[in-house]
Amino acid sequence: MKAAHIIRREYAESAKKKSFIISTILAPILLVVIYAIPIATVYFVPPEQVSVAVLDRTGLLASPFVSSLSDTIGNGDRQYKVMIADPKDRDPAAYKTMLIESIKNNALDVLIEIPEDVFDKGGVNYISKDYFNERVMDDVKGKLDSAVIARRLAREGMDYDRVSALTERIHFDEKKITKSGVMEDQEVVGQFVLVTVFVMILYMTLLSWGISVQRSIIEEKSSRVIEVMLSSVEPRDLFIGKIIGIGSLGLTQIAIWGVIVFAVGFSSSFVFAEVSRYVSVSFADVLYFVLFFILGFLLYSSLFTIIGAVCSTEQDAQQLQSVVVFPMVIPIMLTFFVIQNPNSTLAVVLSLIPLFTPMLMLARVVISEPSAWQIILAIALLIASIYGVILFSARVFRVGVLMYGKRPSLREIIRWYRYA
Amino acid sequence: MPVAVRLTDVSKQFDSFKAVDRVSLAIEQGTIYGLLGPNGAGKTTTIRMILKIILPDTGTVEVLGGAPGCVDKDRIGYLPEERGLYRKMKVIDLLTFLGEVKSMTRRRSRQAAGEWLDRVKLSEVASKKVEELSKGMQQKVQFVATVMHEPDLLILDEPFTGLDPVNVNVLQDIILEFNRKGHTIVFSTHIMDQVERLCREICLIDRGRKLLEGKLSDIKKSYGHNTVTIRFHGDGAFLKTLPEVVSVSDHGNELFLRLKDGADPGRVLSAAASRLAVQKFEIAEPSIHDIFVEQVSTG
Repeated sequence: MKAAHIIRREYAESAKKKSFIISTILAPILLVVIYAIPIATVYFVPPEQVSVAVLDRTGLLASPFVSSLSDTIGNGDRQYKVMIADPKDRDPAAYKTMLIESIKNNALDVLIEIPEDVFDKGGVNYISKDYFNERVMDDVKGKLDSAVIARRLAREGMDYDRVSALTERIHFDEKKITKSGVMEDQEVVGQFVLVTVFVMILYMTLLSWGISVQRSIIEEKSSRVIEVMLSSVEPRDLFIGKIIGIGSLGLTQIAIWGVIVFAVGFSSSFVFAEVSRYVSVSFADVLYFVLFFILGFLLYSSLFTIIGAVCSTEQDAQQLQSVVVFPMVIPIMLTFFVIQNPNSTLAVVLSLIPLFTPMLMLARVVISEPSAWQIILAIALLIASIYGVILFSARVFRVGVLMYGKRPSLREIIRWYRYA
Repeated sequence: MPVAVRLTDVSKQFDSFKAVDRVSLAIEQGTIYGLLGPNGAGKTTTIRMILKIILPDTGTVEVLGGAPGCVDKDRIGYLPEERGLYRKMKVIDLLTFLGEVKSMTRRRSRQAAGEWLDRVKLSEVASKKVEELSKGMQQKVQFVATVMHEPDLLILDEPFTGLDPVNVNVLQDIILEFNRKGHTIVFSTHIMDQVERLCREICLIDRGRKLLEGKLSDIKKSYGHNTVTIRFHGDGAFLKTLPEVVSVSDHGNELFLRLKDGADPGRVLSAAASRLAVQKFEIAEPSIHDIFVEQVSTG
C-alpha cells in the first residue's frame, strides 16, 4: 500500500518542523502560565498596606469601625493604616477637599465619608484612585456594614451577636454523584472548567491540524510536486496518506500533552490532592477525547482538503476556510449551554448533528452521563457523514489538485465531482 | 514491434475547452518518440492521460500491455514540465521516498539514489536540503527521481530546460543508454534541435488535434528535397520574387527557401549568384522546425 509511505513522510517531515516542536512544548507551558499567574498572585503576592481616612459625620461609628480594621498582613504590618479624620474647627468642606487632594498626590489611598443619615439611608462615600481593588472595598464595606448594623440594633435595644447568630445563612455542601456511582465532595465548578478546557483543546487541535492538511495540499500544489506524486500514486493514496499522516502527528501531540499533564499531576501528592479536589478525569473521559479527536479530525480535515484542492494560494484558502471554521465555532458557543443542561432535548439534538458532535458530545459525556443510544447514534451519524465527505472530497481532490489559477465556484466544484 | 503506448480516439474536455480532440497514436516499444506542439496544444493533457493522472472523457488508453485504463505507474518515469520537489527534505531522503512510492524497497531505493547521485555528480549534496541546491542541481535531482527505478517507459517534458551544455550531455547520455537497453522514451519539447538529434518518431499536435505522426525520416521524405539553404553577402530581398520560390524563412545568417515541386534549384543558384556574393548553397531536407511552423500555422 503506497499510502503507507506517504503517511510516514507526512508524519516525519511535519514532526521535524519547528512549528510542531514549539506548539507541542509551548502550548502546555502557556496554558499553565495563564492559569498559574493569577492564582500565584493571589497566594504569594502579599497585599500592600492601604491607608484609609475615615470622615465620620455621625461621630458614633469611627471607633468601632476602626477597631475592626485591625487585620495584619504577611510581614506583621497592619493591613490598614487608619486615620480618623476630624475636621475640628476647620471648614468641613475645605477639609474634605484637602483629603481628596492627598489621594490625588498618593499620600492617601482611600477616603471613607460616613454621612449623618447613614442609619436611615445606608449610603457611604468611598473615594479612591483604584478602580478595581474590590478586595479592599468588599472588606471595608463588610466591616462598616457590621458597625452600622450593630449601631442600629443597639438603638432598638437588641444584641448584635445574638441577632447575627440567629440570621446565619444556610450553605450547600455540594456532592456530586460521579459516573462510577460514588458520592463525592466535589466542586462542581472544577468540572465545568475541565469540560471547557477539554472542548477548547479539542477545538484548537482540530482546527490547527485540519488547517495543516489544507496547507500541506496547497504547498504541494504551489511547489508542483503534486504532479510528480500523482505519476507514482493514485490520488486516493495521497489523500489518505496526508490525512492519516498529519492526523497521527496530531494524536502524538495530544499524547505528549497527556504525558506532561500526567507527570505534573503525579509529580507531587500536593498537586494531585489539590487538583483532584476540583476535577475528576476518568480514563473513559480521556478515551472519549481521543475518539472525538480522531472522528472530528477525519470529518474536518476532509473538508479542509476540499479547500486545499480548490485553492492555488494560501490567501485564497484563508478566505474560503471560514466556511469550515464557522461550523466549528458554533459548538464552542453552545458549550456553556450544553454543560449547564447536558440532558435537555436541545442539547441532545445539537450533539447529534455530525458537525457539532465531536465538541458537544464530548462535553456531554464528561459532564454527565448521556444514555448509550445517544452516544452510539451520534457516533454512527458522525461516521456516516465522514464516509460521505471523504467520498466527495476525494473526488474533488482528484480534479482540483491539478487545477491552478482562478478559484472555482461551487457549481464548478460540483462539476469536478462529476468529472472524476 | 509491440506497442508501449496506444491511444485510441481519446478526447478530453475542460468545460468548453477541448484540450484533446479524438487523438489516436501508437508509440512503439524501444523507440524515442517526440510529442511536439505549440504551447497549449494538449501535450501535457495527453501525457497526464497516459499516466492516468486524469481520465479521458472518451477513447481508450493502453500502456505497457495493460488493459485499457489500467496503468502500472511503477513502470513509468515522468518528468513534468513544471518541476517540483519537497523543498524541505534532504536530497537522499527525498529520492528514497520517491523510489519507495515506485514500489522499491527502502534499502534498494536508498542504494539506487546514492548510485544515481554519484552518476550525475551530486553525491556531495546528498544530505543537503533540496531548497539549498541551485536550480540546475534541483533539475538533476528531479531527473534522478524520474529514472532511478529503471522505468520501462520514460516520459520527459522539456527535460533540458535550464541546464548548461555539459549537463545536457550527461542527461542525454543517460536517456540514450536507457533507449539502448530497450526502454521507451517519450519526449515532449519545443526545441526542434533535440527532436532532430534524438527522436525516431514524432507526433505533432495542435489545438488538441493530431496533425501528423510517423517516422521522422518518412515525414522529412514526404516533404521532398525542395528546400535550399543559402548564405550570402548583399540584399537578398529579390529571392522571394523568383518564380521557383514558394516561401522564404530568414534564419539570420542563412535563408531557407522552399521551392515549388519540381523546380530546379540550379536556376535559383544562378539567379542568386548573378546578384549576390554566395558563400554557401545547399539543397537540404526540410528541417523539423520548418515542418512544425508550416503545419501549425496552416493547420
